[in-house]
Amino acid sequence: MIVADQKPINEILGMLERYDKVLFVGCQTCVAVCMAGGEKETGVLASLVRLARQKAGQPIEIDEAAIQRQCEEEFIEPLEADGYQAILSLGCGVGVNKLADHFGIPVLPGLNTGFMGHIEEHGVWAETCAGCGDCVLHRTGGICPVVRCAKSLMNGPCGGYTDDGLCESGTGAPCAWIAIYKRLKELGLLESMTETSPPKDWSKDRFSGPRTRVREDVRL
Amino acid sequence: MGTEKREAHHYTTYAYNAEIKEKRPYPPCRAACPVNTDVQGYVGLIAQGRYEDAFELIHAVNPIASTCSLICHHPCEQECRRNDVDEPLAIRHLKRFALEQATEYRRKKRKPIPQTKEESIAIIGSGPAGLTAANDLAELGYKVTVFERHPTLGGMLSSAIPPYRLSREALQEDIDDVLAKGIEARTNCQIGKDLTLNDLTEEYDAVLIAVGLSLSRSLPIPGVDAPDVLLAIPFLNDVAYGKQPKVGEKVLVIGGGNVAIDVARSARRLGCEHVEMVCLESAEEMPAWSWEVEEAAEEAIEVHHRWGPQAIRVNDGKVEGLEVVKVKSVFDEDGRFSPVFYDDQTSFIPADTIIITIGQMSDLSFLEGTPVEVDERGRLIWDRDTQMSSADGIFTTGEVITGPGSAIAAAANGHRAAKAIDLYLRGEDIKLGLVAEEKETILAFPEELVQKLSKQSREKIVHLAPKIRTSNFDLFEVGYEEQAALMEARRCRTCGGGAIVNAAQCAACLTCLRICPYDAPLVTSKAQMIPEICQVCGLCAAECPGLAINMVSYDAGEFREHMSDIIGDVDPERDAPILVAFRCNHNAGVNGDQLPDNVRPVHMHCVSRLDVLDLLKAFECGADGAYVMICDEENGKYKNVPSRVKKRIEYVRQLISNIGLESERLSYFEAGTHPDEVWRQAARKMTEKVKALGKD
Repeated sequence: MIVADQKPINEILGMLERYDKVLFVGCQTCVAVCMAGGEKETGVLASLVRLARQKAGQPIEIDEAAIQRQCEEEFIEPLEADGYQAILSLGCGVGVNKLADHFGIPVLPGLNTGFMGHIEEHGVWAETCAGCGDCVLHRTGGICPVVRCAKSLMNGPCGGYTDDGLCESGTGAPCAWIAIYKRLKELGLLESMTETSPPKDWSKDRFSGPRTRVREDVRL
Repeated sequence: MGTEKREAHHYTTYAYNAEIKEKRPYPPCRAACPVNTDVQGYVGLIAQGRYEDAFELIHAVNPIASTCSLICHHPCEQECRRNDVDEPLAIRHLKRFALEQATEYRRKKRKPIPQTKEESIAIIGSGPAGLTAANDLAELGYKVTVFERHPTLGGMLSSAIPPYRLSREALQEDIDDVLAKGIEARTNCQIGKDLTLNDLTEEYDAVLIAVGLSLSRSLPIPGVDAPDVLLAIPFLNDVAYGKQPKVGEKVLVIGGGNVAIDVARSARRLGCEHVEMVCLESAEEMPAWSWEVEEAAEEAIEVHHRWGPQAIRVNDGKVEGLEVVKVKSVFDEDGRFSPVFYDDQTSFIPADTIIITIGQMSDLSFLEGTPVEVDERGRLIWDRDTQMSSADGIFTTGEVITGPGSAIAAAANGHRAAKAIDLYLRGEDIKLGLVAEEKETILAFPEELVQKLSKQSREKIVHLAPKIRTSNFDLFEVGYEEQAALMEARRCRTCGGGAIVNAAQCAACLTCLRICPYDAPLVTSKAQMIPEICQVCGLCAAECPGLAINMVSYDAGEFREHMSDIIGDVDPERDAPILVAFRCNHNAGVNGDQLPDNVRPVHMHCVSRLDVLDLLKAFECGADGAYVMICDEENGKYKNVPSRVKKRIEYVRQLISNIGLESERLSYFEAGTHPDEVWRQAARKMTEKVKALGKD
């Protein structure tokens, strides 16, 4: 899922400063699951913003809505935004983009979109895929070196790990390549580490510009 | 700052529940009740101190509710799932409490129902079945006349159930409710003597025969004609009407059923100190309810088990006792009543009065020469699908057709008969209209779940000491005090009142699965809740990020939706800070807490249901502060509640401090072992603390 986090309240209040009638729109898919922008969080944020604005003597009118997925036109379509000065989206950045495309009023991001990740324990999310467009997980025991190695090395480890197996970057993250080594050993595939991975095709990564995918047979 | 009584705010919207509840499996208590009383619903209302609402819920399906609150055999309690944990909920006694509390209320709301239909109905007999049918038909707008041969209404309830079990005041409340609807009651009017059935069929559009079982069966043994050999029903009639029937110094009651117990215990109250019973059955086989047998034993009534009556020994017109023969077996291999005796084992039980209580039958002599047919054994012929007798437009209900049973079962049949008559008079298909929907029932607690449930003893039901209670016919059972009733009501596990998922809102995020202390959720493509496991703690609904979970027994969103009403108008010139105070019913004292009037109390069945938004809304809607009283893990009703609620409070404290509000404005207090004291002190402490911080 896409993992996001709510922006600091003061940043949100700053974005909303010039408005006094706003629609807050939550998204009931990824950001609901990671407890950042589902219907519940939309209500909580709206309540908090109203409270802050009351306190500041500048009351704001906020209506709340939540749609199934902000990244789909059909789910956005029924949403009415007439009469609002702005929309605050609690979707991921994709949702903000889509709402902004759809409505002719400013759409503000309520969240900082983080990463594609999984839940490590209830309340803890971790990044596990960088969406690089050229997957190598079959060679690394299902552990992504692009996202989990600070240097995104394809033929690690770099040798800079600490005695207790942590990355030298100081983030406290375990060295991805030690994890890959251990996993391949468990799988009886350790010899694959002796093969050198070919240069990775980074042209498929997001840094090479916005990506699109087309499947002609399903186009309407 | 005043300390006037402030009613706690309650936002459990009953109408919401009723709609959803009807689509859900019944809890076993409700399924066991012949009229499907929403036990969980009214017990929950009692727990909140909402006695008038509880009355409404009870009375909606049961017009003889006060009667049942004293004499019902309470199948609901036998089926209560608490049986598997510790002891069943004292449902009947709670019902009594609620009805007694609502007495004034029910009296005030009595009013005639306008007669909107042209047809009229005659009901013969005013026992539970006849009275219930009269009630329902009057509600539907028919003109109803009830004919009763006794001077009082109520059938056996009035003319035979001894007053020590059923106070006539309680019975009268039920009767007055029904009569107030505009029903004509003609007492001292026996059909077959004062009027004929034909008189009724000529005047009325439909007739309902609800004559019950008014005749006692006797025994074909020598000596039964002696003057001191009595039959149960005439004896109980005399008792009921205060005629003080004469009994000797040693009474022997033949029979082992509930009526036999009534007879024996009545004999004790007539001054006889030596009352014994003799029955064919062993203690285990005896048909009387076990608790009645125990209560009789407390009153020094001895039972001779497994003896069959052979002859009554009479000397010079005086009864000397009963010759009995040992019983080998009572039932045959198929469980049918078929007693077998050891002919060579006999005994003699001395007695100067013998009362025969071996069963009843109907007096159907008034049907002779009418189109209503009886079978070769003298039983009324009727159609089970339509409640109609062999004569068109003449219906029948109650024990005359079902045989002996409970008052509430007779009432249930009365409901059905009323429905049948209404269908008949409207020219609709009766059979089709009477088809009842099969309801699913919630299963028993799984064994592993029972281990997780906290135990709490049943509040004791007090009986007057045997020596005192056998000296008169006053009610022998003492009603609950309010505190005891509230404690008992809160023992209810709210079976079937638990979580439900709105699939359209569910993101299958698994939060409910992870948070539930009881493993009730099952999440595949969407979450679903297993009703027999859910304990209604509400932790899941409060944590669901999609607001996809609601509860059958309450609306999870009601506090935040009604927070403005809870807080009311906020005076900008206020001196004392407005505080919203949350606590569970479990810790609530009796109704009307003595709290300063700046405090807005909100009660709920457990603070586990309070979510972040509820707490935040208090501030948004104008509160200067809020606090929650939390039970400790050991004494709380549900698992994992204190830690979870404290985390939510901490989160909201962070949120409000991020916008410049002091986090101390939101707090919690541990209920400990003196919750009422903590509650009072919390109001004072928070008022002082928040006052020092200033207005929000």
